[in-house]
Amino acid sequence: MAEGKGGFEAPGTFVLAIVFLIFFILFYFLNWKWLAGIWHVG
Amino acid sequence: MAVGELDFRTCPVTGLKIHRPAERLIKINAVTAVVFLLVGGIVALLIALTRWPAVHLLPAVYYYRLLTLHGIAMLVAWIIFFEIAAVYFCCTALLNSRLAAPKLGWLAYFLMLIGAAIVAITILAGKADVMFTSYVPLKASPWYYFGVILFAVGALIGISLFFASVVKAKNEGTYTGSLPLVSFGVAIACIIAVLTLAHGAIIYIPTFLWSLGLIQNIDAAMYRIIFWGFGHSSQQINVAAMISIWYLLSTLTVGGKPLNQKVCRTAFILYALFINIASAHHILVDPGPSAAWKVWNTSYAMYLAVLASLIHAFAVPATVEVALRKKGYTKGLFEWLKKAPWGDPGFSSLAISILLFGVMGGITGVIQGTEQLNIRNHNTLNIVGHFHGTVVAGTTVAFMGLTYYVIPLIFQREIISKGLAKLQPYIYGIGLVLLSGGMILAGMFGVPRRHWDITFAATQFPMSWDPTVSFALGLLGLGGVIAVIGGAIFIYIAVGSLLWGKKTG
Repeated sequence: MAEGKGGFEAPGTFVLAIVFLIFFILFYFLNWKWLAGIWHVG
Repeated sequence: MAVGELDFRTCPVTGLKIHRPAERLIKINAVTAVVFLLVGGIVALLIALTRWPAVHLLPAVYYYRLLTLHGIAMLVAWIIFFEIAAVYFCCTALLNSRLAAPKLGWLAYFLMLIGAAIVAITILAGKADVMFTSYVPLKASPWYYFGVILFAVGALIGISLFFASVVKAKNEGTYTGSLPLVSFGVAIACIIAVLTLAHGAIIYIPTFLWSLGLIQNIDAAMYRIIFWGFGHSSQQINVAAMISIWYLLSTLTVGGKPLNQKVCRTAFILYALFINIASAHHILVDPGPSAAWKVWNTSYAMYLAVLASLIHAFAVPATVEVALRKKGYTKGLFEWLKKAPWGDPGFSSLAISILLFGVMGGITGVIQGTEQLNIRNHNTLNIVGHFHGTVVAGTTVAFMGLTYYVIPLIFQREIISKGLAKLQPYIYGIGLVLLSGGMILAGMFGVPRRHWDITFAATQFPMSWDPTVSFALGLLGLGGVIAVIGGAIFIYIAVGSLLWGKKTG
């Protein structure tokens, strides 16, 4: 394969990366929520 | 045959030219690394069984003493001896070249060995119960700091040899164009190592003089900032080296070739520029530095290093997928994954390393590096869960995976107990999931790190915890036992293969 033209030659990895990112976002959001539960502002 | 050619042999499997003096140094550094892994592993078992409340094995003084030894044996000795072996491999075999000055390599080795031995003996003698961080005003025996400095000087010589050998290879024309990607990644690891060791010298030399009574005072806040320029940055060397090994393993196991080298190299450069700045997250609750300084370092600059990790975490599996699709596994999205060589311990180690580094180490690292979220996690077991996800589940598993290739290629011995070798990465990986997972969960409930008895049972104000904490610490203990079994199997296979493995060369 020519360098720089990989892109969707790896669709399985792309799907795995999206699953990872969704998990990342959810866990990051949950940590803010847990922080809000113990650190009341105002 | 030219006289210099006598110094080389050709690997019958890979066709790589192996410089024999470099090969001897690779062997001795790798074997020493495994010896320290054994020491650190035995100590790890005792510590895990102490933090498991149902067992609570060690008395307090031995808990702190052995925790100090565990940090030094694992974070410093095992990892850096192995990295020096990898560094010599990447600047010789991968460049078709020779090591610039093998005698200096031996000097480096003995300095590191003597330094590590002095540190270990001083700790075991009870003269350095200061933990890996040795925060002032905790004071260890001068021998402790002297040993660390000796080790660091040796490591610096080893790293200098890498750069000298690369220049020599370029001058002799043994490779053309840019450095191969794996050597490039190791070069970035070596650049980070120079910065790291500079921080180490700036902080350990005055602390050594302070321990001798030649300096009256070391400012505790200043110590923390500079120490973490050494302490955390040394883990960034591991990250760059580990990712280089990911690329190497993807080639060795499935014949992968990186999809886009420019992107991969750019990601490595992001490490060199920004990953050391991530060290600032250790200072997030310190009163000295300003909020602006903390937020810039951790919530802006650090994310550029995180971006680099995300690029690599996509690029390496993509490399594997493309290689396996080329072999005909093209059905659907995941046939390549199903047909991957899961029975090859090199490949399973690669997959486990990527998965656990990303999920357990990476995500938690970003969360802990955010100033506000850090308040919940600082100095809890959550932090320990994070770095067991990176340094152990990431780096150590990758190094173990490479060892399954180093033994036949460099030591020219067949792996013994192949069935056990197939299982070893999974046993170790499951242990680490439970260990790190237990730590992360316990930390979420505020369980402190480096604490012998979180119930304060012997005091007048005992502390009670949410019942989930007992479950989490049970996971930690159980995971620790399973991980130590997985580590012991690895050591048995590695050492046994060297002693009894069939010669291949």
